[in-house]
Amino acid sequence: MSGFAWDPCEKCEKMMQPYLDRVLTEEERVEAEEHLRGCSYCRKRYRFEEEFRQFVRLAVAEPMPPELKARLAALRTPL
Amino acid sequence: MGESTPDSSPRQLATDARDRVRFEEEALELSDQVYQVARRLAGSREEAEDLVQETYARAFRAWRSFQPGTNLRAWLFRILTNLNIDRGRKIQRTPDTQPLEENDYFLYNRLEESTGDGTPDERKVVERLSQNEAVTALADLPHDFRDVVLLVDLADFTYSDAAQILDIPIGTVMSRLHRGRRMLKRSLAETAVEGGG
Repeated sequence: MSGFAWDPCEKCEKMMQPYLDRVLTEEERVEAEEHLRGCSYCRKRYRFEEEFRQFVRLAVAEPMPPELKARLAALRTPL
Repeated sequence: MGESTPDSSPRQLATDARDRVRFEEEALELSDQVYQVARRLAGSREEAEDLVQETYARAFRAWRSFQPGTNLRAWLFRILTNLNIDRGRKIQRTPDTQPLEENDYFLYNRLEESTGDGTPDERKVVERLSQNEAVTALADLPHDFRDVVLLVDLADFTYSDAAQILDIPIGTVMSRLHRGRRMLKRSLAETAVEGGG
């Protein structure tokens, strides 16, 4: 038995950010994973969250202009 | 103690030069990552480029104050975020008046509702979000929140590194991060629902 004091999905939801940030304690992580194994509702939302983080990362990425790289190298102390 | 008098023996000078070269090379290898965050801190590409240049100019000047073996990436980002504040970023009062009732499943639930497609694939749901809106939503976050979201979610710093870089308690990092992420999701949910329906 999980021993959850309240709705297990609600608890799982609260653990999602720290779970994905890998800051849960070992015990909490096991608890979250146990719940996720049996709950497709939460599993879907965790997967979405991972996709979402990846989406944001890619959406806001912009390659560094090559000229800037050259300008930074020029700031180095001459030997 | 302050700065020790530099030893000017030829051997010391050679060691010094070697350390400096290594430092500069390692710092330059991180420039892409520094630029990514600078670009999101600054309003334009030009400003971002200036910010990165200033960061490196300052880092190269201050290289002796970097302690080898400690986190160079965090050290550089600390310079970057400090310069960003120095360059006149307005100190915004944290708008904690806005209630954020949403929980962490909120965005998925909203998008799922609006697809009218039962339980769609997670990837399909993410595709409903617009890339441009993500850029705008991130830019529109209150700066205190945005700084933390950028350091943790874009630059992959730990909570504790982010706390050191921004010189704030770790608990503040956590609360700003969670709140910042929720604000981001809320504004994306609004635009996605409007756009897709």
